[in-house]
Amino acid sequence: MEAPPTYNATSLPGYSGSKLSFILHQAIDRSAERYADRPAFRFLDTTLSYAELVDRANKLARVLVDEGIKRGDRVGIFMHKSLESPVAVYGIMKAGAAYVPLDPATPASRLRKTIQHCGIRCLISHAQKQQDVLELLDAGTPLECVIGLDVIDQPGIRSLGWDCLEAAPGDRAPDSGVMQQDLAYIMYTSGSTGIPKGIMHTHASGLSYARMAAETYGINHEDRLSNHSPLHFDMSTLDYFSGPLCGACTVIIPEAYTKLPASLSTLMEKERMTIWYSVPFALIQLLLRGLLEERDLGTLRWVLFGGEPFPPKHLHALRRLWPRARFSNVYGPAEVNQCTYYHVPVNEPESDMPLPVGRVWPNAEGLVVDDKDQAVACGESGELLVRTPTMMRGYWQQPELNEQVFYRRPAAGGTSDIFYRTGDLVQDRGDGVLMFLGRKDRQVKIRGYRIELDEVESVLAAHEQVEEAAAYVVAGSEDSETIQAAVILKTRQDGITDELRQHCAQQLPWYAVPESICLRESFPRTTSGKINRRELRGHAIEGQRAEAMS
Amino acid sequence: MKAAIKDYVISELLSGKDISENDDLLLSGLVDSLGVMRLVTHLEQQYSIKIPPEDVTIEHFMNIEAISLYLEGCMN
Repeated sequence: MEAPPTYNATSLPGYSGSKLSFILHQAIDRSAERYADRPAFRFLDTTLSYAELVDRANKLARVLVDEGIKRGDRVGIFMHKSLESPVAVYGIMKAGAAYVPLDPATPASRLRKTIQHCGIRCLISHAQKQQDVLELLDAGTPLECVIGLDVIDQPGIRSLGWDCLEAAPGDRAPDSGVMQQDLAYIMYTSGSTGIPKGIMHTHASGLSYARMAAETYGINHEDRLSNHSPLHFDMSTLDYFSGPLCGACTVIIPEAYTKLPASLSTLMEKERMTIWYSVPFALIQLLLRGLLEERDLGTLRWVLFGGEPFPPKHLHALRRLWPRARFSNVYGPAEVNQCTYYHVPVNEPESDMPLPVGRVWPNAEGLVVDDKDQAVACGESGELLVRTPTMMRGYWQQPELNEQVFYRRPAAGGTSDIFYRTGDLVQDRGDGVLMFLGRKDRQVKIRGYRIELDEVESVLAAHEQVEEAAAYVVAGSEDSETIQAAVILKTRQDGITDELRQHCAQQLPWYAVPESICLRESFPRTTSGKINRRELRGHAIEGQRAEAMS
Repeated sequence: MKAAIKDYVISELLSGKDISENDDLLLSGLVDSLGVMRLVTHLEQQYSIKIPPEDVTIEHFMNIEAISLYLEGCMN
């Protein structure tokens, strides 16, 4: 394990009394000075004002520092969405550490692997997750401290409830010495080798993004932002950073509402939301079942969507329903936060043409290159490489991968400009506006969630009965897609598909578990002997059609 | 009826994971909005009723207990 950065007597910390803003958590301090009593976050009928958020985040930071957390440490957040989520995010950063949001629905074995991989010693949680955390601790982890549960009695673990904040001083955060180049957060995403990848963002990259997004969408202190995305999904950074940067209110949407469009639209109306941000899938669900024609959502001024293509027919239906709102297609892998946008022109006629992802945004540079990193001619398809201050530092503990994902272009004075290889194939429409064409590799998006099909296959292949496995994507209902898989078994065995799905559910996030797994004697092969997944996918589609006919 | 709903939810939506009647059905990542729709379609067929979109809300679908109370209301 890499030694954590040290902050001790031999380092000279920067002056901590400055009013300059250069790190993410100063956003809430500055907004609290101007808008102390205005709401920073809302969750159902509860509110956290800026003054209260600063007070509670300072207190949590004190507790964390008392527990030995220091600059460079990673602190996990493992809980359902709540008003404690922003306290955890800002409290961890104020302690000088990086927050690592963990999917509250992640299977125990994957959670344990992530905690080990990231060297997380302290976890912030909630009583709702008591049972899951106890199981986790039983299985053995590097955890030394858990905050937020009903106090537990476990050897080697210090456990503090949320009430531990009450006794801590909240008037000022501890001097952590954290600076812009230090890590602010790490988000884990699917990795093709089976090890999830931890995308490391610094205060510099996070704050650059928060500022760019705030300016692009003109966010101000009267805005009310939707936080539809889960905390472990990169879209949440707009809600958690850009909102507070501008003194706006971020409305945290509970998980249950994201699954029931009729309840969600009621909440949107009641909260008078002005800026919406979600994956297109959520908007399609609202459109189909959200009873939108019965709701007054005239306060909406920006509808942002990203993570996957938005089928034009649904977009245009929404534009008709919300004529006063502007729509913007947001594009950028989590590794760069965001790098292009396409504001749908107000008078753009409706068509079935796919929506562009737009121009590379200011203060960034894009290159469209072929397999040899040579620029392609305008209009030809190629991989998009991006250079931007919103870019990650790299993947946690993956030196080899970090060598591959950055492209270094020789620059003046013997230095180099560093670009991130997005893996996305794009095409310049001719005016700098980019069209998204697909992926270079086997990464897919299911309802906005990023999944490496190679990871699904490696999990299936790890099962003792499986000889070989193939995973592919098949169109499902309502413009969504599903993952399906085919396996060859070592020996014939009936009724094993349920066991295989269980096996996947224990290792993979829920959205990556194949919806169906079919058993085969052999796989179709290409001439080079590779599994012909396209043909397997064709079989699956035929099978679905036959089933629908009967 | 509760037992039948529970069996369906566990086998079809939760990949066999056990859940009690009062456990929050929607907090878990396992049931998403398409899962809710599958459940609605199943209930409509099973009990020969029509569930209008305005009834597919937190109050009626938060857990198995709430679903069965709602269905009883529909059938009376």
